[in-house]
Amino acid sequence: MPSLSTEANRQSDVPLAGLYIHVPFCSAICPYCDFAVLVGGHEQRRHFVDSLLLEIALYADLELSGLGPVCFDTIYLGGGTPSMLTPDDLGRIFDALRRTVDLTADAKISLEANPEDVTSASLQAWRRLGVATLSLGVQSFDGDELRVLGRRHSPEDAIRSIKQAVAAGFDSVSVDLIFGLPDQDTSTLRRNLEQAVALAPDHISSYELEIHPRTTFGKQHARGELHELPEGQQAELFLLTHRVLAEAGYPAYEVSNFARHPRYRSQHNQKYWRHVPYVGLGPSAHSFDGQQRWWNERHLAKWQRQIEAGHRPVAGRERLSTQDLALETLMLSLRTVAGLDLSSFEARFDFDLVAHNRALVEQLDREGLLRLHDNLLAPTLEGFAVADGLAAGFSLQGLGRQAVRSTSRSIDKRLDRQV
Amino acid sequence: MDTIRNFCIIAHIDHGKSTLADRLIQRCGGVHDRDFRDQILDSMDIERERGITIKSNTITLPYEAQDGKTYSLNLIDTPGHVDFSHEVRRSLMSCEGALLLIDASQGVEAQTMANLYLALEYDLEIIPVINKIDLPSADVERVREEIDSELGLDPFEVVLCSAKTGVGIDDVLEAVVQKLPAPVGDPNAPTKALLFDAQYDIYRGVVMLVRVREGSLRKGQELFMMHSKKRYTVEELGHLLLERVAGKELGTGTVGYIIAGVKSVQDIAIGDTITDFDQPASEPLPGYKEAKPVVFSSMYPVSSDDYEDLVKGLDKLHLNDASLTYEKDSSAALGFGFRCGFLGLLHLEVVQERLEREHGLSLLLSAPSVRYEIVLKTGEEVAIDNPSLLPDPTEIETSAEPYIKAAVMMPERYIGTVMELCRERRGENTAFTYLTPGRVELTSEMPLAEVLFDFYDRLKTVTQGYGSFDYDMLDYRITDLVKVDILVNQERVDALSQLVHRDKARARALHYCERLEETIPRQQFKIPIQGVIGGTVIARTTINAFRKDVTAKCYGGDISRKRKLIEKQKEGKKRMKMVGSVEIPQEAFLAVLKSDAGK
Repeated sequence: MPSLSTEANRQSDVPLAGLYIHVPFCSAICPYCDFAVLVGGHEQRRHFVDSLLLEIALYADLELSGLGPVCFDTIYLGGGTPSMLTPDDLGRIFDALRRTVDLTADAKISLEANPEDVTSASLQAWRRLGVATLSLGVQSFDGDELRVLGRRHSPEDAIRSIKQAVAAGFDSVSVDLIFGLPDQDTSTLRRNLEQAVALAPDHISSYELEIHPRTTFGKQHARGELHELPEGQQAELFLLTHRVLAEAGYPAYEVSNFARHPRYRSQHNQKYWRHVPYVGLGPSAHSFDGQQRWWNERHLAKWQRQIEAGHRPVAGRERLSTQDLALETLMLSLRTVAGLDLSSFEARFDFDLVAHNRALVEQLDREGLLRLHDNLLAPTLEGFAVADGLAAGFSLQGLGRQAVRSTSRSIDKRLDRQV
Repeated sequence: MDTIRNFCIIAHIDHGKSTLADRLIQRCGGVHDRDFRDQILDSMDIERERGITIKSNTITLPYEAQDGKTYSLNLIDTPGHVDFSHEVRRSLMSCEGALLLIDASQGVEAQTMANLYLALEYDLEIIPVINKIDLPSADVERVREEIDSELGLDPFEVVLCSAKTGVGIDDVLEAVVQKLPAPVGDPNAPTKALLFDAQYDIYRGVVMLVRVREGSLRKGQELFMMHSKKRYTVEELGHLLLERVAGKELGTGTVGYIIAGVKSVQDIAIGDTITDFDQPASEPLPGYKEAKPVVFSSMYPVSSDDYEDLVKGLDKLHLNDASLTYEKDSSAALGFGFRCGFLGLLHLEVVQERLEREHGLSLLLSAPSVRYEIVLKTGEEVAIDNPSLLPDPTEIETSAEPYIKAAVMMPERYIGTVMELCRERRGENTAFTYLTPGRVELTSEMPLAEVLFDFYDRLKTVTQGYGSFDYDMLDYRITDLVKVDILVNQERVDALSQLVHRDKARARALHYCERLEETIPRQQFKIPIQGVIGGTVIARTTINAFRKDVTAKCYGGDISRKRKLIEKQKEGKKRMKMVGSVEIPQEAFLAVLKSDAGK
């Protein structure tokens, strides 16, 4: 049921959801990457876009369980390398979305791009298509590091692409970096961070290198050819990243994300962390409606076969129990600077987290890992570094004996609070 | 009586005892091939898996010998560990002879010696049997020589066999018939039978295993138990083939079973002498000793929801194991549990393993303790086997601890290291004698508490497996007892408290701290671990905090995967006990009990 939407005809309690599109193509596979990616030719990419348009059509009358019709205010193209799609193909996707699903008038489009795909022509095309945020997969400004990471761009490409992007007039430009390479020391990391800051992007993501078993790095690691950085050094680099970026005017708002002003924080990614509904299209993309999470077929061919047969290409789904939702809320909140709002946690789950974990909270506060103030439980910088363990340490025993209270209203409230 | 032979098989572990028993049973048609399974006499899973025998068992084998007569061969299977030595002794007491089984490639080993001496103590006739002669590494001549020089047995009496292939099995059976004496005893004397073991049958109650020494047992007979002074009527008796075969009478010299309306193994005393109520024997059989628990430990379910299952499990084990004692106990750290008494550490391990396996329980145990005798300043005497019940030191006049007489048999070359080990363990009056040239027996009066903690492991290490060990309880001696508490992150973990000799306190506390440091997972904060006596810290270690564990990416919407990782982490914590804000894994409670020999 196509609808030309305006904000006026939107029901007030319909949450604003996020839409993610996974573009699984890269010009080469990076040795550390464990996303669903493949190297595809021009024809294959065009065929992918055809399938994607069909998938979008399958979501024409999308209603999320318990929430009714859904309206999106963020669109995020990730991958893979979405910048490998031609402007023509990107245009077909955006047209289809506008025709088929309910978007707010000011829905924000983000696009991930590799530096080598950034030219003045492509930048102009993306601007014309309405891309608001350009996220550049720079990873490093060091030639050796880029080679180790198997990237296809040079430090000069990286610098040039950021300069051009910043000048092109996007709402915001973000730079992705990777730290924690096997031999990285504080001085190479510091140079990377300083170089990024010098180019004045609006947002920086700095991810630690993770070695996943099925990747090239994973196999090298298993054979003993590649060593993970010792934990102490990982901690040192993690803390250095946060300190350098904060001093340069990019305070963290999440474990790996930094913005020079709250308005540059990723609207889309924050939805994942706040249990706001989102729909993912494309191979391996995940969706969430507040209670259920489902995910698409990971392999392109399987994904395509399902769509061509007229089915949503869903590979699996799970219904989250109250316990699951509470644990996720805890784990996701403790990764953010804002931390966990205890009163909304209690309102939502009918569970007084601090009362059930008094000794732990006091200990963590004494150790300087967590701060409890104004009914907020917020990690410190050192706490950020051990956020996984923090979440796992809390007891949720006894939670969920009563049914979870409706989430839609609190979601709206939390959206309103977004800066 | 001439056609009866009562015998057992004694052997070092893995020398093929169960396989030989299996083969003898098969040869005598004791079991149809379709019913056959390996280690047929070991009925408990744990016996099969560990290759050890815990309960005695017995089987009567009809055997037609070369002299044309049919014999009743009673094979009595015995446990082979020092913890169960009272059971071994009673089994040996019901035999006239023993097959001493020796591996053709391994030769004479520590347990071979210990078992031989035990058998000789009961005047058993010994037939040396060399097993596994089919092995490529078999060296029959060397083993024959060892039998001569190390055991002092006649090398020409040796029977060769392979229990695996069946070669020589007939020779073994013929040797039993020809070389072992028939039982002796006066059939007309008043009834005198040894109760050497008992099993619990859910339908029939207690099934007593007996060896008739004099007179006979009959159906309907009124029995009198000479030690426990109880009276029963024989409801059923007979021989044990693989199943019970009821009969009318058990004659002099025979081995069999009696069912006499005994409700629980607690009601009878293993080792008791059974006689006729109306015409009692004047004297019981010699050698009766009550099996008293000497090792005490508290058991707690890891999950407090499992408490009821633990109660059921202990009740059920107790039906078949009179030597296990238990009473309610509770711990601030571990919740409700039971204080249990055991015959020794293996007994403890076996009980724990059976509870975990047969009742699906996951258990935590406190440090094993002996029972101390405390005299208070008021003159009152108390027996303490639980550290948490130790009176305040200022109220104690004297403490005494149980001593044992330890006997270690070993080749001469280890004497130095073993004497050093005994000295380390506060052994007194250590002495040794040569049994044969090259082989010595060392005796030492040692506190039992010193033996509880990894003595057996250490002995095996220092003698490379050649030392065998046995002990008898001796007496109580005055000692300097202190209570060592363990603090994890400043919180006392009562289940880790222990009573030790003052001289050993520091080393033991450090051992605990170090094991805990290795087994408690690092947390986000530093965890000090301290061993203290009263308010004085005598040992300490620290578990450093981890500083980085957060995964970088949590976007693309795949939150489920990440949540599952954290759930897994949390799942791991379920097997842990929360003490203050520190999780202590079950392994930590076990690790502290483990030896640090070899480290």
